Amino acid sequence: MAFTLVALFLLAFLVVPVLTVVTVAFQDRASGSFTLAHFGDFLSNDLFRTSFLNSLYVSLMSVVVASLIALPLAYFTTRFEFRGAILVQTLGVLPLIMPPFAGAVAMGLLFSRTGTVNLLLGDWLDINIPFMEGLNGVIFVQSVHYFPFILLNLVASLKNIDRAMEESAQNLGSHGFRLFRRIVLPLAMPGYVAGASLVFIKVFDDLATPLLLNVREMLAPQAYLRITSVGLEDPIGYVISVVLILFSVLSLWVSSLALRGKDYATVQRGGGGLARRRMSRGQAVLAYAVIILILMLVLAPHFGLFLLSIATIWSFAPLPDGYTLAHYTRVFAESSQYITNTLIYAGLAGLIDVILGTTIAYLVLRTKLAGARWLDYLAMSALAVPGLVLGIGYLRTFFGVTLPGGTSLAAFWGIIVLALAVRRLPYALRACTAAMQQISASLEEAAENLGARRLSVVRRIVLPLMAGGLAAGFITSFATAAVELSATLMLVQSSNDAPLAYGLYVFMQSPAGRGAGAALGIVAVVIVGLSTLLSHLVAERGGGRKSA
Amino acid sequence: MRSKLEQAGQPMIGRRSLCALVPLIAGAAQAQTAGASGKVSVVTSFSNDVTGPFKRAFEAAHPGVTLDIQNRNTTAGVRFVQETRANNAVDLFWASAPDAFEVLKTAGLLEVYRPNAQGIPERIGPYTINDPEGYVTGFAASGYGIMWNERYTRANRLPDPKEWSDLAKPVYHDHVIITAPSRSGTTHLTLETILQGEGWEKGWGTVKGFSGNLRQITERSFGVPDAVNSGQVGIGIVIDFFAFSAQGAGFPVKFVYPSVTTVVPANIAIVKNPPNLAGAKAFIDFLLSTQGQEILLEPTIRRLPVNPAVYAKAPAGYPNPFTGSIGMPSLRFDVVESGKRYAVVDALYDQTIGTNLDSLKRATKAIGDVETRLARRDNSAARALLAEARSLISAMPITEAEASSDAVTGAFSGRAGSPRQAELEQRWSAFAREKYQAAAAKAAEAAKAAG
Amino acid sequence: MSELLAREPAGIRVEGVDLSYGTTRVLKDVNLEIRPGEFFAFLGPSGCGKTTLLRLIAGFNTAERGRVLVGGKDISALPPWKRDVGMVFQSYALWPHMTVRRNVAFGLEERRVARTEIGPRVEAALKLVGLEGMGERRPAQLSGGQQQRVALARTVAVRPMVLLLDEPLSNLDARLRVQVRRELRELQQRLRLTTIFVTHDQEEANTVCDRIAVMNDGVVQQVGTPMELYDHPANLFVAGFLGTANIMPGTVLRDGGGAAFEIAGGTRIPLPPGLAAPDDARLVFRPQDVSFLPPGADAGGRRLIEGEITHREFLGASIRYGVRVAGAEVLVDAPHMGGEGHLAVGGRAVLALDAARVKLLTA
Repeated sequence: MAFTLVALFLLAFLVVPVLTVVTVAFQDRASGSFTLAHFGDFLSNDLFRTSFLNSLYVSLMSVVVASLIALPLAYFTTRFEFRGAILVQTLGVLPLIMPPFAGAVAMGLLFSRTGTVNLLLGDWLDINIPFMEGLNGVIFVQSVHYFPFILLNLVASLKNIDRAMEESAQNLGSHGFRLFRRIVLPLAMPGYVAGASLVFIKVFDDLATPLLLNVREMLAPQAYLRITSVGLEDPIGYVISVVLILFSVLSLWVSSLALRGKDYATVQRGGGGLARRRMSRGQAVLAYAVIILILMLVLAPHFGLFLLSIATIWSFAPLPDGYTLAHYTRVFAESSQYITNTLIYAGLAGLIDVILGTTIAYLVLRTKLAGARWLDYLAMSALAVPGLVLGIGYLRTFFGVTLPGGTSLAAFWGIIVLALAVRRLPYALRACTAAMQQISASLEEAAENLGARRLSVVRRIVLPLMAGGLAAGFITSFATAAVELSATLMLVQSSNDAPLAYGLYVFMQSPAGRGAGAALGIVAVVIVGLSTLLSHLVAERGGGRKSA
Repeated sequence: MRSKLEQAGQPMIGRRSLCALVPLIAGAAQAQTAGASGKVSVVTSFSNDVTGPFKRAFEAAHPGVTLDIQNRNTTAGVRFVQETRANNAVDLFWASAPDAFEVLKTAGLLEVYRPNAQGIPERIGPYTINDPEGYVTGFAASGYGIMWNERYTRANRLPDPKEWSDLAKPVYHDHVIITAPSRSGTTHLTLETILQGEGWEKGWGTVKGFSGNLRQITERSFGVPDAVNSGQVGIGIVIDFFAFSAQGAGFPVKFVYPSVTTVVPANIAIVKNPPNLAGAKAFIDFLLSTQGQEILLEPTIRRLPVNPAVYAKAPAGYPNPFTGSIGMPSLRFDVVESGKRYAVVDALYDQTIGTNLDSLKRATKAIGDVETRLARRDNSAARALLAEARSLISAMPITEAEASSDAVTGAFSGRAGSPRQAELEQRWSAFAREKYQAAAAKAAEAAKAAG
Repeated sequence: MSELLAREPAGIRVEGVDLSYGTTRVLKDVNLEIRPGEFFAFLGPSGCGKTTLLRLIAGFNTAERGRVLVGGKDISALPPWKRDVGMVFQSYALWPHMTVRRNVAFGLEERRVARTEIGPRVEAALKLVGLEGMGERRPAQLSGGQQQRVALARTVAVRPMVLLLDEPLSNLDARLRVQVRRELRELQQRLRLTTIFVTHDQEEANTVCDRIAVMNDGVVQQVGTPMELYDHPANLFVAGFLGTANIMPGTVLRDGGGAAFEIAGGTRIPLPPGLAAPDDARLVFRPQDVSFLPPGADAGGRRLIEGEITHREFLGASIRYGVRVAGAEVLVDAPHMGGEGHLAVGGRAVLALDAARVKLLTA
């Protein structure tokens, strides 16, 4: 029943719309008959081979760099009595909320060849570090942008390790980094792999960052460029989309293979999370220094965005020429509807995602339904569907559907919510799956044994225990949906119904709108940041109830 | 089968109905009143800075009318109109890129309207202002040129550029940015103007000359002014109003029209089966009225009016295409030729320059270095080698005739019997890479010869 | 092979330790002396502080006051990994990502023991616990008893100065428990390893340990051999926790020559001379120190108490009766001989108490 409902949802709002678009990849352009010749072209073309290798390289390196950023943050905040751990974990999510265009402009102002950092470095040391150039630039920006996926999953995983696991290692003489490397990290591996695979796929499929850094020799931008050429139906763009989708599913499959039999969390009894140790003075200074440095790096775009939002003119200079609040005045006067819309859309999308995510996770983990795992892969493949393809697919599929009242379904604002939900479902799904994996099935069996029905077991036992994971799922879906643009741009039918990202886009298309766009971006970051903090607090309280 | 309600305007399910906890399905649909008033839906690629003043003035001039602006980039806008044709809810399509209108017109998605505005000439530069068949109306003009960040050029001691050929000089290496012609209709027209103005061979030589000095090729047209405004790149090849509006916003940027340039109309058209035909016509008339034309002069808009009389009100130094201060009056622009090879020219640029930018830049840099040395101590053997290297760079995989031949253009429209687009692209890209490598080798020889 | 794992035994001293979690005082001025080679138990109900004390010795808790010495050396300031104090966790804490062999070798690798030595010592440890040939298995493939042995092997492989066992038998079923506790004792004897065994089960403590520290409410109530504790409990808690005790309220009466204890209902029990008799003391005796007086039999100097039989439990070697005496319940163990009958619940009975076996204890 639940299976059918979820399957129908995915079919209607993911599979069918995407298929209506990508079939071009399998059609001979002249006759319309089935052909695989386009895939042959893809394989024999130097550009696409290079693009594929570049995408692979960038994705792998991004995982490495993102891990380097996420590991210390996760480690320090979960293992030590660390004042501000929640704050750090909240700030750690902010990079996911990089508003489109505005975030890139801010990054450019800080890190480009003539950005603040390099202008200052040039003055002081006469050096110039190419943070933002070529593939390395993509790796830099992507790592800063997506490391929260690793952070969130790793923190959840670390919190779930039986503390005796670590203490027994200490008891046998292990400590410090060796202990982390040999015991803690391997035990946190499921969470880490979940986060890392998300980063890998996301970077592999992301087109915005390479495009904004003007890197074209990667698969996703190639697909985008070819799909969006005005007046051309170049099948290769759709071929690449299909390749991206297949590759994403493949990497998920590989990562699930790698984790087979490593479902440690549920093997052990005990639990209670790792003991938080008090740090010595020296350790504390070091830990705070590391964390502050990392936060400065990953929050630099937001800092730059903030500066931009209060800047009069900022051009070829380390800092703006002057400061003003006019941009905020303009944003609140012209665009307050964007903010309400965004909260409603992203909130609903997050809710839908958590419901779908929990249902799919339950089907995969607790029932023996043969198709459940495929449902999981199917939902995850949404990661690889370019927003534009989904947007076009929605228009094609739903424009003919008329709602009561005569509006086309595609013109109804709810369709934006559905598009956002489908695009962000993978994030929530991974978080829900991880959370449910950590609940021993015996807890549910106990409840069933006491006469509770399936649904009430889910409601009264599973959901409360999953609170933390659900919150994480909601946060990632909500936060990223709040700044999604590519599908939205296709589906917005009236600026009254438009979300914030659209408003940002509109502002950022003119020189005078740059500051206002940045101000709107800051508003987005603040709203999403506060919601994140709130969910963390709620989840912590849920967690407290759990251990009681 | 469209109901009366749909024709009357686009009913909306109120977003607020959710807040009021009204069930979604039962959400109150509020239809708006039909007529010359009502709502006029516009899909546009123009920013708020441009649409805002028009919206305010238009709504003030026509009480009871709302102008509903839907901002979309040109691609998404065209797609949107195409995908929603069965149940169209858009009245007007309003954008710069002439090619977007061409696509819509060819697909039969536009409505004929000939506004009866006074005092608007037939041509601006080589172009007719309005579509001869009446589908598309020009309301403003824009020229292409060179924009630079003064702080950047001062810090890097770059001279102010004047002509396209200036940008090919070694001093500008790695300081220039452009939008790919396949991504920007106006860049495409600049490219086409250079090719027609200077001829296929020489024209590509000029284009490749400055392309060898590019830092980046962006995929969105606003990326160029963005980069120049913030000083990330010094010099951009842009459409004029980007520079003017940046100046209007206070950025330290300058702009110049090179002598080989073109003035392109920015257009508006009524979408086929508009829900509010009367409103759509009213807005076009308003755009072309003296009041509408004068709005173009506002500092954040800065486009060139198509009504020559309006220039009287323009501030001093405002460029005027009707007095010959910009553009090439002598240029004979072959619209038919240009239309035929449209996709081919874009693909040629993407394959020979876009995807091979690194090797092109390497070769250009090598040539530039030798040239700088030759300027101090000349050497005829080295000069000869450099000339060879340059002609290697300029070489194109196909001739002008081939570019508009059915065999080649067919690949881009999927015509039966033509090679597939991807095959051609692979061939062109490989051709260019080989030539650039050979050019770099020649430059190295020249460096040896120069001693 | 066990000589590979043996070392000179070390003693443990705990001096004046105080420890609180927030405002809760968990350990209150704990002082203990554990002799080298001794098998020592911390016994007490859950929440008494026994595991906290064990973790303190292992270094996972820090005392506010006091210190811990192992082998004469103060280890209070050392982190867990420098203490050389082996601990087996209640959950075993086997690392699921490592094989049995890797688990056992872990501590040796961390101590930078030469590679050539690690192999034989791992083998010796596995042999010691009877798991030869299981080295390549994963913990998840082992039974609970086997996992426990791996945990033990992992700890003794590093030749710790002392061995700490945190409720090592609690995850095993009853049959296995008896077997494993015997094996533990044997292993401890073989290695002459000073061992602390934390348990809440008096039977476990009694059967394997040399001495026991009974703990309650963060305080060490009494230290002694199992027999000392049983025969001479220091207070009501120890008397009640070790074995079964009848504890009766009443009043101490003193008159010239001797003292007596009057329980409810007026029966007076003369107290042995020299027995301290504080006013708040209660009368304590074991169920086997009281018996049913058959009708018409001679009391023989024993004190008689009358009551009503309220329930009966068959224990095998004996039958335990509950007898209500003036509002209190007295447990009486009657030896069970095959074929003999038993007394009916609800009947009246006369109890004979051996006054020489009674004790007066305070809380």
